[in-house]
Amino acid sequence: MASTSTCLEGTTKAMTLAHVNVPPAQTWNYLKIDQIALSVPVPTSAGTVPTRLPRLFSRIGAGVGTEAVSWVEATTGDSRYVEVPRGTVREEPIVLSCDADAGEVRDSGVMVRGGATATIVLVSHGSGDAEGDAPLSPTPAATSANLVRVYAEKGATVHLVEVVAMGDERQHLEGIGLVAEDGARVDARQYLLGGGRVAVGFEADLAGDAATLDLDSRYIVRHHEVLDVNHAVLQRGERTRCDIQTSGILADAGQKTMRETIDLRHGGHGSKGNERETVLVTGDDIVNRTLPVILCDEDDVAGNHGASIGSVSSEQMTYLADRGLSDAEAEALFARALFDDAVIHAPEQQSLSAALDRAANVVGDDMAHDLASGLGIEPASADDPKEE
Amino acid sequence: MADEKDRTNARPEVDERGRSKVQDVDRSLYDFVKSEEGYERYADGLTPDIVRSISAKKDEPDWMLKMRLEALERFHDIDMAPNWGPDTSGLNMDDISTYVSPKTKQARDWNDVPADIKDTFERLGIPQAERDSLAGVGAQYDSEIVYHNMREEVAKQGVVYTTIEDAIHDPQWEPVVRKYFGTLIPMTDHKFAALHYAVWSGGSFVYVPEGVSLDYPLQSYFRLNASGAGQFEHTLIVVEPGANLHFIEGCSAPKYYEANLHAGAVELFVGDGARLRYSTIENWSKNMYNLNTKRARVGADATMEWVSGSFGSHVSYLYPTTILQGDRSVCEYTGITFSGANQDLDTGCKVILNGRDTRASMSAKSISKDGGVNTFRSSVVVGRHADNARCTVSCQSLMLDDISRSDTIPAMDVRNRTASVGHEATIGRISDDTILYLMSRGCSEEEARTMVVNGFANPVSKELPLEYAVEMNNLIKLEMEGAIG
Repeated sequence: MASTSTCLEGTTKAMTLAHVNVPPAQTWNYLKIDQIALSVPVPTSAGTVPTRLPRLFSRIGAGVGTEAVSWVEATTGDSRYVEVPRGTVREEPIVLSCDADAGEVRDSGVMVRGGATATIVLVSHGSGDAEGDAPLSPTPAATSANLVRVYAEKGATVHLVEVVAMGDERQHLEGIGLVAEDGARVDARQYLLGGGRVAVGFEADLAGDAATLDLDSRYIVRHHEVLDVNHAVLQRGERTRCDIQTSGILADAGQKTMRETIDLRHGGHGSKGNERETVLVTGDDIVNRTLPVILCDEDDVAGNHGASIGSVSSEQMTYLADRGLSDAEAEALFARALFDDAVIHAPEQQSLSAALDRAANVVGDDMAHDLASGLGIEPASADDPKEE
Repeated sequence: MADEKDRTNARPEVDERGRSKVQDVDRSLYDFVKSEEGYERYADGLTPDIVRSISAKKDEPDWMLKMRLEALERFHDIDMAPNWGPDTSGLNMDDISTYVSPKTKQARDWNDVPADIKDTFERLGIPQAERDSLAGVGAQYDSEIVYHNMREEVAKQGVVYTTIEDAIHDPQWEPVVRKYFGTLIPMTDHKFAALHYAVWSGGSFVYVPEGVSLDYPLQSYFRLNASGAGQFEHTLIVVEPGANLHFIEGCSAPKYYEANLHAGAVELFVGDGARLRYSTIENWSKNMYNLNTKRARVGADATMEWVSGSFGSHVSYLYPTTILQGDRSVCEYTGITFSGANQDLDTGCKVILNGRDTRASMSAKSISKDGGVNTFRSSVVVGRHADNARCTVSCQSLMLDDISRSDTIPAMDVRNRTASVGHEATIGRISDDTILYLMSRGCSEEEARTMVVNGFANPVSKELPLEYAVEMNNLIKLEMEGAIG
């Protein structure tokens, strides 16, 4: 598989992607919840003939919008294409990494053939936060991107793990597109652990009958970070099932926008879509936007949504205080639990190292060391390991 | 009654998937037309001259004319949002008359109302309701109020219930109107708010003095008889601290093939410790573009309650908005929307929690059938200083067939760490298990389905006074009967 990248540091000309993460159904524009605009470097032609993904992948949306996908395709060098043969079980995870510090822009496609099983790991990582507490606004030149589109054929099983972990000087665009044919099963875990301005799109087309998606998305947004997420699941096949669980911590002056759309299409008899978001707010200057949408033009379906936004209750805090924990320590426990989950579910070294590096930055070296010790490992750098 | 019995006992028509067919609503109660002969009708379209004519007709002060002309410019400047909402391209203002008026003066006795107009309101049950259960009634026919009356004992308490036009011409109330009019819904709010301020006519001004509590509701009923016309009434209600009011509005129109337009505005000011319930049963005909705007500002320890039943209109944009400005203020919204063939109803609510310890609870239900489109749209905004604000939003949508559509689009923007916001939404049909369960307890299939639908709508109808709950249940029954599958 070819693997090159385009380095953007030092690029001066910028352009604006005005419509990133636009959900399928929008609402009052004054709420400023329908999209995020990103200032990014203007793609430059290197005068080469890059490797492109098979045309099939251009038909797969990635949640970030066509404008952003076109920018990635124009910016990246060679694309990465991986195919998992029919009926096989690939033991070794497919690691699709992106070095944010190097300003990499990556475009990858994975074909999981009928009945095959694969684990796909997206790791977008960068160095820690800048010194000081002053608000940062990442420059266009500090932009990286990781775009992955997956086609799961009939009866395929895909385990997807995504880790975004970088400091507040970085701007990152991440898109995942997914098509699931009959009986394909996808479980995805997202760990959005940091970045100055991060836009994450996730778009799944449950096109086949009995296709299923379980998406567990967790995040922490702190300091002056901006996290913008667009989850969109289209349920077209009969008896499809989608479960989206989102939970996160919003601290300091962090800003988060979470869009979740379940689109139950005509003909998808017997389909069910569920989405639930829980947000723990610990910051005094946070901005927490949520747009949970259910679209439906079929009667023989069930769509459910639930959201809960709030802080740790005073009763819970009192309970923890009785056990000797200060408010700050109690809230740090919640952050630790998030990193604990990321570390436990990291299927290989790069994602593990990225999560531990970020944990050290957010909850401190001691706690990160505890996390690693709990798994019986020593923290290692995310820069070393091998890559697909 | 015989008809009703026949309908109840009729076996439902069942389609190939076992779903019972739902009959269209019998609109004969609302679908009658009176002649416009002798009426004053301004030319179709929208020009400064038409705006000046409306203002001159009402002998308005200069400030109001200036406001109208500025709003007209805004209307032309503002576009509809291109990325959301039902299609309004079928609405052409060049084909809409913004002012149609019967040649009659406002009456305080139904016997002084012209016979055909009186007959209209008799058929809609308004005088009977006034006699039975209301503290006062205003009746608007096309662009003008034709009847306005209030019980003497209510007037003696200092309550004012009159038209905006009369309030403007009353030296005591003109400053009050000027203080509040257009302040809660600015003309820049959206395109049809601007249109409203350019051509508004009719509506009500209500003032409830401090500490006064009305035992019976006030009601305004709006009837748009003319075809190819618009109705632009403005309702301004000021409830002073500690006062209590229930205000009911109803509306209907006969069906035409030409588009009609309703772009009213409702501004509600609820003082500290006061309570206002605003109930609406909207049953416009299905050629109506209902682009209405309603907004309330609520003081400390005050309560704003919305009860809304939307059954009519071709297209609706309707989102009652509550600004919980005062500490410990409360908002409750209960609404149901029924969308059938050729209807695209975009309804919901907005709440802005600015005060500390504020509470908002919103419950919306929708029923879609025959290709109707229902969109529940809401926004919850919790401001930075709204410590301990609490808000819950619940939306339940019932799909009665597979050619209809139901979307739920709630937005939340929370900027306070101590706030707690919850939202839940469900979309689905009546489950076979539920029907089976009820049938195993001795219900017929039709009884079981009717029971489920009545239960679905009950939280809304129980919030209304008995007479209006009966009307709403009648509307639901007309839409539902034949059972649901």
